[in-house]
Amino acid sequence: METVTWLLFALGISLILAKIGDSIIERYELPGVLGELLMGMILGNLVYFGLVAPHYLPIVSGEGFATDTTAIANFLAKLGIIFLLFLGALDTDIEQLKKTGLTATVSTIMGVFVPLILGWFALMELGYDSREAFAGGVLLTATSIGLTVRVMMDLGVLKSEVGAASLSASVMDDFLGIALVIFAVGTGSLIELSLKIVAFFLITGVIWWYLVDYYIRFAERLHVEKGVLGMALGMMFLFAALAEGWFAAAIEGAFMMGLTLSKLPEGKRLMDDVRAIGYGLLIPFFFVHTGAMLNLTVFKHKDALVLAAVLTTVAIVGKIIGRGFGAWITAWGRGREFLFTRENFWMSLQMGIGSIPRTEVALVDLMVAIHGGAIKPEHAPEFIAATLIFITVSVLITPPLLKWAFKREIEEARAAKTAQKVERIRETKERIREIKEGR
Amino acid sequence: MDVESALQHFHSMKISNVMSGPGSIPVVTDDTDIISVLKILRTRHHVWVVRDRESMELVGIIRYMDVIDVLLPPDVHRFKLGMTSKPMKSLLGGATTAGDVAEKQVLTIGGEETVLDALIKMRKYRVQVLAVVEGERLVGEISLRILIDELLRLLRVGGPQWKQ
Repeated sequence: METVTWLLFALGISLILAKIGDSIIERYELPGVLGELLMGMILGNLVYFGLVAPHYLPIVSGEGFATDTTAIANFLAKLGIIFLLFLGALDTDIEQLKKTGLTATVSTIMGVFVPLILGWFALMELGYDSREAFAGGVLLTATSIGLTVRVMMDLGVLKSEVGAASLSASVMDDFLGIALVIFAVGTGSLIELSLKIVAFFLITGVIWWYLVDYYIRFAERLHVEKGVLGMALGMMFLFAALAEGWFAAAIEGAFMMGLTLSKLPEGKRLMDDVRAIGYGLLIPFFFVHTGAMLNLTVFKHKDALVLAAVLTTVAIVGKIIGRGFGAWITAWGRGREFLFTRENFWMSLQMGIGSIPRTEVALVDLMVAIHGGAIKPEHAPEFIAATLIFITVSVLITPPLLKWAFKREIEEARAAKTAQKVERIRETKERIREIKEGR
Repeated sequence: MDVESALQHFHSMKISNVMSGPGSIPVVTDDTDIISVLKILRTRHHVWVVRDRESMELVGIIRYMDVIDVLLPPDVHRFKLGMTSKPMKSLLGGATTAGDVAEKQVLTIGGEETVLDALIKMRKYRVQVLAVVEGERLVGEISLRILIDELLRLLRVGGPQWKQ
């Protein structure tokens, strides 16, 4: 009885603080998720530092802190990840993915694999085993385009070639970041794992792609309240169960269900309902829960700081080099003569810098890697600390770097505006002179 | 005709017999500038967006309520996973054409389906208008206003022209 009371209390306080934290951080034009994580961190450390007994706030995990209800909180957080990915996929524009041009494609692939490989080897150098190091590399793969879009909009360059390519690349980038985590958490031989992956994508991506339409028609014929929503969520959980069973990565199932559903107008019409459940309850709880996993005492040991420094460096440098070089090498489809030009260099650098921010997918991959056993329990606190640090650094440095990279375009736009203003004043003066002369 | 029999007949009517045809519905091509779209939306509830007027391939729909996202500055929206499509419709965010702001996945209905099917679909997805299509070609629309007009016509209470 009492445990339920405190679980409900923790859920309530988490949601309220999540929304307040989100709002505060958004005022500084930073991703609100940082505010949710921060609130979680405060809540969690009230327990870790012994100020509140664990059973009053059963959202923290770890030895000595887990209670009877911790598993329920963990499950709710997991549902949050599932809804986040389902919603992300449902919001995807498949047509845009199909139109991804050569520059966006090459730069995305390099922008994913360069930080992955760099991170993998860097972590192995630090002494982590190959599987754990690979999982660390996967955390660095997926860009969170939201912040870049916002900054590019503010700078008035979103409609530029770089802006369009960045947007186009972001869809594929998320897709790869989410898919790669399978290789980190998947077990068994490489052949067995590969066969499972092929079978999974055949079932959920190819066969279901053709069947989803009939399924939704069937759901429509049931004529029950929220029948389509219930049937869609039901199938999403079945896919998630399949992915959890095969790869310990339920998110893959949710993502594939969202992706296939996104092609149907009926699927898109479910977004408001799914958003209400997701962003109204489960997703903020997931972020608070993740923040609460950061035990600040982890910084007593230098391992966490070293890992954070390495992951942050690789996250930034790897993306700029990977995506930037990927864009540069294609010369933006303008032929070889454009390759060594100053413009190609700057456009590619802009593309690289725009891909630095990481938020949601990095956290999702982190949680999947921890729960899937790819990151060992004893290393989980330092990975959580390092991930939260590289996420924070990545979102803080991107806006000034983007402003610097686009300074020429901004100055040109400013000069054009000034010239327009001067021209308007000249025309007005001319008109007044004409009126005075009685013409 | 009494209400009961009028409604029975009404529900079984084919969409193709009730719908507004392509000549009388608001249509723009996807490269039409947003200002022209806004001018149409001063007096219309929605605008259909097609690839070109020859093929009439349906690209999307811009509803009256979508104008809110067009007019709002993009930073009012939250850029979160699963919530990125709306801010992209903002004029200040760089949207310039009908294609940029149109909702691409449009609820459609076939000409052979009935008024009852249309009503159920409208209720289920809370929309007031459906595109009538043949394959990907827009051939008309069915809206609540059209359905109300049709019912009143059956009941012969809508106006003098229906009493004939």
